[in-house]
This record gives sequence, structure tokens and C-alpha cells, in this order.
Amino acid sequence: MRAKIKKEDLVYLFLELKGTHKIIGPKVSNNVIVLSEIDFEDLPLGYRDLQSQGSYKLIKSDESTMFGYSVSADSFKRFLNPPNVEILSFKTSKRGLSFKPLTYQGKPLAFFGIRSCDREALRLYDKVFLEGLERDFYYNSIRQNLILIALNCINPGDNCFCASISTGPEVKGSFDLLITELDDCLLIESGSSFGDRLIKVLPQESVNETHMTKKKLVLEKCMGMFKKKISFNKLPDLIYKNIENPRWQEIAKRDLECGNCTQVCPTCFCSTTYDSVMLNGISKKITEISGRKIRVWDSCFSRNFARVHGGNFRLSRKARYRHWFAHKLAYSLEQFSLPGCVGCGRCITWCPMGIDLTQELEGFSDGE
Amino acid sequence: MASKLIPVVAEIKWIKKESRDTATYALKILDKDVNRDFKYEPGQFSMLSVVGIGEVPISFSSAPTDRDITHTIRIAGDVTTALSKLKVGDLIGVRGPFGRGWPLSELYDREPLIIAGGIGIAPMRSMIREIVNNYDKYFFRRTPVVVYGARTPKDILFRNEFPRYRGFFELILTVDSADPEEYWKGEIGFVTNVIKRLNINPLHTTAFICGPEIMMQSTIKELLLKGVAREKIFLSMERNMNCGIGLCGHCLFGPKFICKDGPVFRYIEVEEFLGIKEL
Repeated sequence: MRAKIKKEDLVYLFLELKGTHKIIGPKVSNNVIVLSEIDFEDLPLGYRDLQSQGSYKLIKSDESTMFGYSVSADSFKRFLNPPNVEILSFKTSKRGLSFKPLTYQGKPLAFFGIRSCDREALRLYDKVFLEGLERDFYYNSIRQNLILIALNCINPGDNCFCASISTGPEVKGSFDLLITELDDCLLIESGSSFGDRLIKVLPQESVNETHMTKKKLVLEKCMGMFKKKISFNKLPDLIYKNIENPRWQEIAKRDLECGNCTQVCPTCFCSTTYDSVMLNGISKKITEISGRKIRVWDSCFSRNFARVHGGNFRLSRKARYRHWFAHKLAYSLEQFSLPGCVGCGRCITWCPMGIDLTQELEGFSDGE
Repeated sequence: MASKLIPVVAEIKWIKKESRDTATYALKILDKDVNRDFKYEPGQFSMLSVVGIGEVPISFSSAPTDRDITHTIRIAGDVTTALSKLKVGDLIGVRGPFGRGWPLSELYDREPLIIAGGIGIAPMRSMIREIVNNYDKYFFRRTPVVVYGARTPKDILFRNEFPRYRGFFELILTVDSADPEEYWKGEIGFVTNVIKRLNINPLHTTAFICGPEIMMQSTIKELLLKGVAREKIFLSMERNMNCGIGLCGHCLFGPKFICKDGPVFRYIEVEEFLGIKEL
């Protein structure tokens, strides 16, 4: 089902959804577009973001373009796999020991404006958390009721390179609704029965072939606007061939190991767990305690990431950088048949040293 | 919700001290249904948890055909220290079993060579006991050989059990160094030195190795020199397994998840990565 609506009529979508769903979408906060629970008024309409290596600037322009900005600083992953979440509760008492799984209890989530890169990252997340040996019960408790309102990119950011990995700019994964902004209207396509229902509540006009042609043109134009690319067809071999290349050491010299890249990367999924026992979880008898198992994001840039008793498998910074890079561009292809990089460029923008994954990969190609 | 991410409760049935820092714990899973369905293979591991402290991956030291499920644990970090303070009757959390164990099908009609270093004897004991329990099933071409190296005679685990295995295995014990005051009639030197002198038929040998990575690498080198096929060498790898099912990313070794693709690998599966430092 498809329809076109006036740009301002998008508000009706929010009105329809907000009673039943928590809408997560882009909004401006501290001069950066971030994802958050939003209403229609929060959308950063008319904003443009200028992203380059280690730099981000937001400008307000008076264009009539609604979705002229590119990827937000953070990705949708933190709403599906929260950075800090209680996954189990445990209790010891006279009666014994017990464990209880904890799941998401809030309103179902609706992701508004999820772009192709993040949609592809979600595909990888589903592979990791749902299609592995076992479903992750916490992730599943959010994912099973998730609504996706996807957005076709019309204006890639300066650090974007999804076109060269075929992870964008056009949304290819499944969605409930897909929005494409045309000059004077929004083209809305439905990809599910829930999407059909949503379209019906909008003040819609019918779509003809001209609109579909316009959509094609908009996407074609977008394809031609990318400033960065990677040689995806050389992967994963290019990484394996260079696994002992001294260039890793060169990159490591610029690397601060702040872990920003793993935080903003929409596919990084590593986590660690720890037991948390608060003072009120300890009874008079010290042996009777209650607490929570907490899962937090971890980063392979952390020194303890590969630590075991009596040793650490990745002691050097070089090794840690190489691990991250190789997981993105080589290992992931073998593990999940999907690239671990979707070309959103966030790691380039938010690296304080401006380390550019596309350039570093190119550096290895040069040696051939 | 049955999930391997949620621990089941197990009671410590008995504890046997093996050496100054290592002990064997027999566990009884309290839930009757879970206990009945709990099936594991030699070489697999479970995540054992002491609530409030954390979890550790520990391989099985018992065979599936043994009466009790046992884990042999060396005190190494916070959780293993906490485990060492527990008594018979105390409760712990168990998640598992995880991973791919030793390929028992590779034992049939072969000459097994089992090589262990240090605490690496624990997952090997699981297979050794499996062989003892089902000896005739495998039609060995010759008596299986066990080479076990420890730091000193005091560090040798399961020492009192070995006499019982004599009839089933040719057993070679070696230590890095022995106190001259102490009675020691085994070998002195690294496992590799024992392998060097070992008389085996490379065409019929299947090797199973578990120990420190550096020991496994040098051992494999010797085996290859002797002409053992790369496809017939198996090793058990160690990383910091955390979730057990490939979600947490901690145990990556190149593209392999040690927790679910391993911990036991055929040498050819990891050969290209083994020599790479800090992978």
C-alpha cells in the first residue's frame, strides 16, 4: 500500500502512534542530532549537519527540506540493547537460590526515521541476538513488538559510504512504513499490515507513476553524492592478507582508545555482565543476598576486554585496534554473512583523532 | 522460559582437593527435569556462578557416563576464589553446557594421543574417563597414550586415579622441575620433549591437546614433524568466555567464537590464526 501526504501532515502519524508506542527518533540536543523519545515538534526540520573527520556541526537552513540532515550521532542500538540493563535477578535465602529473567516492560517502541544503514545494522543485530544458538530473551522482549518507520536518505553525510557496501541509501530491509521525501510531498509506502493501518489514518492522496519515478530519481541523485567509499569487493581477504602489516602500529599511534567508535557504531554488540548487590540486598544474615545481573556495553578497546586469569590476549593497542577493524570488515562476514560495517561513517565523525576507516582500509589496498 | 542465559541451581555434592590450588566439585542440579535433560560431552564447559561475585567458564572433568557431574577448578581469580570457599551443600548457579567438545567419533579405529599441560588435564580427564567407560567400543589400533605435563610433582592432578587407568593407557607424566628431596620417577622436562621421543605411527595417530597456547603450538609443531596429519590434531582453546552463546564478543579468536565454534577445534580450522600474536 502506498500514498502521498503533505509534509506537515506527518504530524498525524505521531498522533496515531504516540498513545500506544514510545516513538524514538531524531531531535536536536546540545547542537547535535541524537535519538530520543520524540514528538512531531522535536523533529530537526530544516537542519543540516556537516560531518567530517573528527568534526560535527549543525546548521539551520531555511530550506523546505524536512529530512536534509544525515545520520544521528548515536544509533538505534541503544534502545534495543540498552547500554546498561538488568537481565536477571537473583536471591539466596533459607529456601535456596533462585534466578529470574527480567525483560522489557515498557510501551512497544517505534523507530522513526531509521535509515538504511541503521536498518542493515538491525539485520546484523537480529542475527546476533535472535538467530544464533539461542534467542536473547531481553532483546527479544523489545524486538518482537518493534515498529519500523524507515526513511530513504536523500542527502548523505560527508562521512557516509553505505553506497559502496550496498547497505544504502535506499532501504532494502523490511519495514512497517517507508518515507521518501519528494519536493512537495512525502511518499509513504507500507511494508506490513500495521503499516497499512497507519497509512489509512493519514490524510492521504493517491500516488501515480510520476511519484514513483520521482522517488527513483531522488535516490539516484543521492547515490551520486557520496564522498567516501570502501573497496568492499576486496573484503575480507584484504584484511587477512594484511593482518601482520606494520601499518597497524602506525594507526595505533594516532589511536586514543577512547572507545567512541564502538559506542557510536550501530553494529558493535559486545557486552559484559556483572553481579550487582546493593546494601539493601544484604540481610542480617550475610549469606542471604539479593541482587541483579547487569549487562553493560563493552568495548574491545578496553584493556580488560581479552583478559583471562594470568594473561591478556590483546595487550597492545595495535592488537586492539586491529581486532575492532578486522571484526567490522572481515570476521563479521564469516560469522554472520553480513558486513560488520554499514557505512554510516559515525566512527569517523566521532573519533577525536579523526581516524578514518575508509582511508585506513585504502592504505592497505595501496600496498598491493 | 528455558534459556541457557538463565542459570539453574546446583548443589555441591562433594569436594575433593586435587592440589594446593585445585579442587574437584561434584554438582547436583536441583531441578529434577533439568537434571535429567542435562547432557554434555567431554570438552564442553559450563558457566559456574557464585551470586554476587560473578561467573567463570569451567570445563567438565567428568565423563557423561560418570555418575556425577564434576568440574575441576584452579583458584585463579575472584570467582574461583569464591568457589574455593564453598562447602558441601552450598548452592551455585550453572549455565550450560556450552561449546563443541572433543570429537569422540575420531577415536574409532585410531591410535589416540592425549596431551595435556597444567589445568588442561581437566577437560582431558572427561575424555579419558569416557574412554575407560567405553573402552571396547572404539576398537583402538593400540593402547591410547596420555602425556601429561605439570609444573612440579605436587601440581599433578588426579594423581591417585592414574594407577587405575594404567590398564587402559600408556601414561607418561612429566614435570618442569622436581624437588630432589621428593620421590619422582616420572620424566623431567616439557611435554614437547616427551613427544619428540615418542614412538607413534603418524598414519594412525589422532592427537588431542589441551594446555597453555604456547605449549599447544610447540607440541603441534613436533606432531607435524612426526608426520601426524593436520586434520587429525585437535586442540582446546581458551579465551574469556562470558555469555557462552556468541552474544558478548569476548572470546573471539579471529573470526571464531571460542564459546560456540570451539573450544575444541580441528587444527586446520585455526592453523592460520595460531601463529598471529595478540589476535
